[in-house]
Amino acid sequence: MSTELADIHDFIKAIEPFDQLPRDSIARIVRNISICYVRQGEQLPPAGIDEPMLYFLRKGALAYYSGNDELLGKYGEGDICTVFCSPDEDFAVKVIPEEDTLLCAINCAELKSVISDFPFVHNFFLQSGAQRLKQQVSKINEEALLTSTLMNTSIDDFYHGPAVTIDKGESIIAAATKMTELNFSCLVVMDEHGLAGIVTDKDLRRRCIAQGLDFTRPVSDIMTENVELIDHNFSAYDALIKMTSQHIHHLPVTKNGVLAGMLTVTDLMNQEGLNAVNLSSTIGKAQSVDELAKISKLLPKLQIRMAKLGSTADHVGKTISALTTAFTNKLIHMAKEQYGHEPVPFAWLAAGSQARQEQFAHSDQDNALIISNDMQPEDDAWFKQLATFVSDGLASCGFIYCPGDVMATNAKWRQPQRVWQQYFDSWVNTPEPMALMHSSVFFDLHCVYGEVDLLAQVQANMLQQTQRNTLFIAHLSTNALKLRPPLGFFRDFVLISNGKHKKTLDLKHNGIAPIVDLARIYALSEGITAVNTIERLKQAAGTASLSAKSAANLIDAFEFLGMLRAEHQAGQLQAGIEPDNYLSPKEISRLEREHLKDAFKVIKTMQANRQTTFG
Amino acid sequence: MFSLFDKLLFASKGINSKREMLLDKAPEGALKQFLSVPFPDKNTAISDIDILAVDFETTGLNAKTDKLLSVGYVGVKNGLIKLGESEHQIIQSDGRLDKDNVVIHQITDGEKANGDELKAVVDKLLLAMAGKVMLVHYANIERSFLQQACIELYGMAPVWPIIDTLVLAKTRLERSDTPYDPHNLRLANLRASYHLPAHHEHNALNDALATGELLLAQMQHYDQGLKTPLKEFLL
Repeated sequence: MSTELADIHDFIKAIEPFDQLPRDSIARIVRNISICYVRQGEQLPPAGIDEPMLYFLRKGALAYYSGNDELLGKYGEGDICTVFCSPDEDFAVKVIPEEDTLLCAINCAELKSVISDFPFVHNFFLQSGAQRLKQQVSKINEEALLTSTLMNTSIDDFYHGPAVTIDKGESIIAAATKMTELNFSCLVVMDEHGLAGIVTDKDLRRRCIAQGLDFTRPVSDIMTENVELIDHNFSAYDALIKMTSQHIHHLPVTKNGVLAGMLTVTDLMNQEGLNAVNLSSTIGKAQSVDELAKISKLLPKLQIRMAKLGSTADHVGKTISALTTAFTNKLIHMAKEQYGHEPVPFAWLAAGSQARQEQFAHSDQDNALIISNDMQPEDDAWFKQLATFVSDGLASCGFIYCPGDVMATNAKWRQPQRVWQQYFDSWVNTPEPMALMHSSVFFDLHCVYGEVDLLAQVQANMLQQTQRNTLFIAHLSTNALKLRPPLGFFRDFVLISNGKHKKTLDLKHNGIAPIVDLARIYALSEGITAVNTIERLKQAAGTASLSAKSAANLIDAFEFLGMLRAEHQAGQLQAGIEPDNYLSPKEISRLEREHLKDAFKVIKTMQANRQTTFG
Repeated sequence: MFSLFDKLLFASKGINSKREMLLDKAPEGALKQFLSVPFPDKNTAISDIDILAVDFETTGLNAKTDKLLSVGYVGVKNGLIKLGESEHQIIQSDGRLDKDNVVIHQITDGEKANGDELKAVVDKLLLAMAGKVMLVHYANIERSFLQQACIELYGMAPVWPIIDTLVLAKTRLERSDTPYDPHNLRLANLRASYHLPAHHEHNALNDALATGELLLAQMQHYDQGLKTPLKEFLL
């Protein structure tokens, strides 16, 4: 065969995961290809092909239908049709061209022999969707571990440029003024040859003020000479080592030998230090709501940084939720300073994503108050003040008011424990689909402040009832099944079940929420107190509601979707756009689309199981 | 009076008897071997015909004065193009190439100097084509250059059963009585009209493949599809 089939070669080479193969292997694939043209409405395999083949779609569109003619998916240019090769397709799929379609076909056995030396490509075809997803998620987790170290981060990500300089002849007072104005702890001192030294806060203190030196003396009198420099190509880790070994806090950064900026130890600590521990202590020290609001501006930055460093969505969610808790706590303390002590004990509850520790920056606030049964009618005024103060404070910190009014400011959700008990009794015992949909947020509760027992007792009662009440679980399931993942992708569109196309995928409602709902159902049927989705799935694994394998699959799907959401939102936050959950297929690679489809499949399988149990 | 069937039978016999006549005169070698294999019967369904899609790159349009630069071909049978049965050869020749020409077919003087001898290339092509139908887009070029090469190499030119995708498209357009721009008959434009992807033009193998794909599409649009007899396609 000729090596000149450039069109076909390039076409195959551009399709994931074949892009991972060397030229020789692609050439071997090309050599084994048969090209065929199938007219719209005919069925695959085309006439003339009687062996199992894998098809590359070069032009046109294929639609997959189930045995009872339900649309399963659609495929466009650059997609691969594996139906006739795949070991895990145990049901009959009909593949019908929706347009006249040009295909490159390769014998499955032949393909397997070509790719057998390339585990990544091989596994892609041999593994089931769930296995593939698992592999991808563990790969992401490993990468998160690796990249979260300073070792893999370049100084470029940290230093501030250009460096602020001062001429060596300028006075100490001029240096101090410049540093104060610019809020810099360090200046680079320049002479006619270039960098002469640096002057820091510490130099001003130790070499000037403490020595009683004349402030009008030139700054060169107090500068540090023979300064250590670092090239911008070094890793952040190298910089940290240099600083700690030399006991210095400032490193001028050079690019091609020219001064480019300044790296401080604080910049580096921010890598690890812009974390929940650090931020929550800052929150604890804040004196006013304004200050809190200022600190809250760091939340999106933290989320961006975590996403960029490859943190898992679980980690991001837990961090942001912990900080929301810190804000809420601080606001409650401030309220108490203003309005005095609570008349009776209470528990401030976070509901929904915050309770599940799956919150991202810029999310709604969902909260409620359980008050001790000792509460007198006149006590409500105090709690109303508390609720208003905290809720307004949270709003100033970027947590917008809950559109569904699930907030402690709403009298309905600011009630003594016995009323809450009644609420749950009625939700569980006389489940009404609409009411359940609104109230399902209350099945994910977490005590942020106050008497944990107030909530624990209500929850324990509730779980005892939900475990026994199959009708309730059935209603909850019906609700949960309303949110369905899409079928997949077609060209650059999202394909939904009625065969229509959408421009974007709603990651939250069509991916994450269905898993959250399923996990809640398993938890409520098995009496599991955890509210975090992954925790619920882990605890439900191996129970009557959920097999260990299915639990692992759902966790993988959840982590993958969460990661995509974190990346998507990091991109938006960085661009200064309000983050949302609408992912355009154009944002992600073909491979990610495949993994997404695998995730959808896991969700669909589990939804179908619920349906057959309670259908 | 002859029935239409008889006429077609005669025509079919025509090319094969010409082949037999030529076979008697042919020198030993590739041409003789090519002529010794009968051409397929015209009434055979197109699905059962071995077809070889062929394309030449040349220095110009005149077979007498211009040179053959490269040949590309690929096998088509039963509605499938087998990429394993493809060939691309550059022909060794003297004389510098026109700059303008190099831009079109991207064959450089260096490649040309390292190419195969014309005889080796044409021998191989004839052997690959034995018993098959030649498929080309705009037959004049390939036929005249191949005839000329054969005359130079073997002292005589054979006959070939040919399918011309341009003629198929033209006939179809004329039958439908719709006025058309002759430009629409260009390979790339015809492909686009069948929603085939754009291809890398002016490389002999890619053009041969592109012609093969066009035929796949054209065949599927006949009422009988792949069951249509060969005679409906032949030039």
